[in-house]
Amino acid sequence: MYPACPKALASRAVRRGQALAVLVALAALFVALGACGSRPTPPSGGAGLARVRAAHKLRWGADIQGGEPYVWEDSEHGGRRVGFEVDLANAIARELGVEAEFVQNDWSALVPSLERGTFDVILNGFEVTPSRVGRVRFTRPYYCFAARLMARRSDSAVQPTVGWMRGRRVGTLANSFSFEYLRAAQAEIVPYEGVEEPYIDLAQGRSDAVLLDDIIAARYGEPRQDLRVVGDVADGYYAVAARNEEPDLQAAVDGALARVIASGELERILSRAGIMNERQRRLMTWSESDQRRMLGTQDTRQRLNGTHVMLFLRGARTTLWVSTLAMCLAIPLGLLLAVIRLYGPKPLAKLAGLYIEVYRGTPVLLQLYVLYYGLADVVKLNAPAAAILGLGMNYAAYEAEVYRAGIQAVPKGQTEAALSLGMSLPLALRRVVLPQAFRLALPSVTNDFIALLKDSSLVSVITVVELTKQMTITAVDVRSWVLPGAMCAALYFAMSYPLSIVARRLEEKMARA
Amino acid sequence: MINVESLTKTYGPRTVLNGVSVAFEKGQVVSLIGPSGGGKSTLLRCLNGLEEFHGGAITIGRDVLKPGGAAVNKKALASIRQRVGMVFQTWNLFPHRTALGNVIEGPVHVKGLAVAEATARAEALLERVGLSHRKAAYPGEMSGGEQQRVAIARALAMEPEALLLDEPTSALDPERVGEVLDVLTGLAKDGLTMMVVTHEMRFAREVSHRTLVLHGGQIIEDGPPAEVIDNPKHERTRAFLGLTRRD
Ligand SMILES: Nc1ncnc2c1ncn2[C@@H]1O[C@H](COP(=O)(O)OP(=O)(O)O)[C@@H](O)[C@H]1O
Ligand SMILES: [Mg+2]
Repeated sequence: MYPACPKALASRAVRRGQALAVLVALAALFVALGACGSRPTPPSGGAGLARVRAAHKLRWGADIQGGEPYVWEDSEHGGRRVGFEVDLANAIARELGVEAEFVQNDWSALVPSLERGTFDVILNGFEVTPSRVGRVRFTRPYYCFAARLMARRSDSAVQPTVGWMRGRRVGTLANSFSFEYLRAAQAEIVPYEGVEEPYIDLAQGRSDAVLLDDIIAARYGEPRQDLRVVGDVADGYYAVAARNEEPDLQAAVDGALARVIASGELERILSRAGIMNERQRRLMTWSESDQRRMLGTQDTRQRLNGTHVMLFLRGARTTLWVSTLAMCLAIPLGLLLAVIRLYGPKPLAKLAGLYIEVYRGTPVLLQLYVLYYGLADVVKLNAPAAAILGLGMNYAAYEAEVYRAGIQAVPKGQTEAALSLGMSLPLALRRVVLPQAFRLALPSVTNDFIALLKDSSLVSVITVVELTKQMTITAVDVRSWVLPGAMCAALYFAMSYPLSIVARRLEEKMARA
Repeated sequence: MINVESLTKTYGPRTVLNGVSVAFEKGQVVSLIGPSGGGKSTLLRCLNGLEEFHGGAITIGRDVLKPGGAAVNKKALASIRQRVGMVFQTWNLFPHRTALGNVIEGPVHVKGLAVAEATARAEALLERVGLSHRKAAYPGEMSGGEQQRVAIARALAMEPEALLLDEPTSALDPERVGEVLDVLTGLAKDGLTMMVVTHEMRFAREVSHRTLVLHGGQIIEDGPPAEVIDNPKHERTRAFLGLTRRD
């Protein structure tokens, strides 16, 4: 997992990425449009435990990309899945008299996957946060972590206090315990999808501090020479989560966990993972009132309100201007590439061809990662600039091919007529060929712009909060994907539909000409 | 004014022009006839530098074209194309510009004439080809005959010393042929040097001063039209003309 390899990072981000979120949003839209928002609910009282017993399997959802020490694939032992949560899942399943079965799931989508029945429980560094309580049923905790604030070694002004955090740029994982803590502290949150990127950015000076669980900080932050631990600001818990409708399963797992703790097995598991410490003692004496305190008394669920709508509109605005500026870059750059590829001197033409093939042949997500994190030591772009440049350079490759097709579709007689008037080749291109090629390409360019609007959701991996990201954040606040998803889809539609009308008109016009 | 010296051109193994030597004088209207595939278009395109050749030389005024294409002849090409106009079989008007826009394109962007002056001249030229009323029309809105007349006006706008025309009427509906030939007849009367590839024997006989027959990449007849057309020396010419007369 360490040090940062862009490819590994990118693939992790693909899993954690927004594609799934968009899918969920669309599904949510259908549900919302279908008027009957009813969800298939298991019989009350819960049939969860019976199901697990019948299948003789406890399916637990986790993300392998979370890495050490939670769950990861041990490359030294043939890719075997290991981690303290693997040991814990096995112990709990054994106590229930069943087998544990690991189910890989994107971390950011653990809750929706749990709800739709992809697995029985979540067990994956899943922090107890106010917004998750009420959405799922937590067992007693199996780990007590500290939210650890880190800063650059050179930056001595950073304090582990709410007062300092207010208005400061602080990186964290989106929708984590720390994320909610920072929001309450009114920090300017820089949300990440992966655990290494926040520390890379901090070292680069793109943020003022990083607040994350001590386990993560110990693995990914503290080994960096240029960073220091400022302090721990709050305690939080990892617990197993079952579906809201299955209190029986939650109770059974809670009982199993209690036995695993009482027998000293949990301590052995944590010690083996090297994450046992004094703080874990409180798990050994966990009481009903501790549980109530952990879950909190008031329900912090929010209704979708005016503030959310404003945030959505702001997200849509970000989507729109990132896409527009990226397209403004892609069009001239693509034109240049197409002209060089067709008319330039051989070596340059080859280079343009290579650019096009490389940019079309690799994922745009990887390109964004390389641009923002990989090249951070060479060019330190801020996130919006990297987003625009990354998307623009990627789309330029596609535009180049569109223009090339357009140029080649202009009859040769046009160039000859221009040359026979005494025009030079560049003049003939500019006055005669390109205007016609551009017309031929216009419908495709418009379609590409629509695609770009949607692809722009990828820039959230480099901390730009655009529309889709805003939806995933809001979905956590309101404990539902339905309304935020519908709103997100409606806003995308409001942006892309006028464009597709324009595209269709242009196509019709072309067909007539 | 145009001197072609043992011009040779091949496409792969096939020789398309096989040592063509011919000189054209100023003010002369030459009709170029011959069977399809004889090399007429290729010869015309070589004269305008749209086609490179492999042997011989072309001299137009003080400019000389040599084998080797654009790389070798850069300067001569720029000069020749401004002084020799070309009219294509399928006219090749710029579809994104009006009739007037097509005609002023060269003067404004190649010669650097002011738009107002170029427009005034273009209007006169459109008048001359009988299309003043169509100056705002786009090529897509005009008939073939109209488009070809605009194409002639476009070439004339560069004030060429000679005009090359490659089958200017053969893509037109029969009833549209006359209007284009009338324009060409007028130009001939005004003393414009022209080289016209044509299958219109009446036009060749009545308007041109000299007729060439190109066959198999060689000039096999060269003389006054009446002589060449009515009394051809070469067996092949007779065969070709016999075919032409029948249709
Ligand atoms: N681009 C080309 N590639 C190969 N052969 C060609 C090409 N253009 C013309 N030719 C050949 O050259 C010969 C002369 O063609 P062309 O000059 O068009 O004859 P014409 O105009 O007298 O009908 C023909 O045999 C034709 O097939
Ligand atoms: Mg021809």
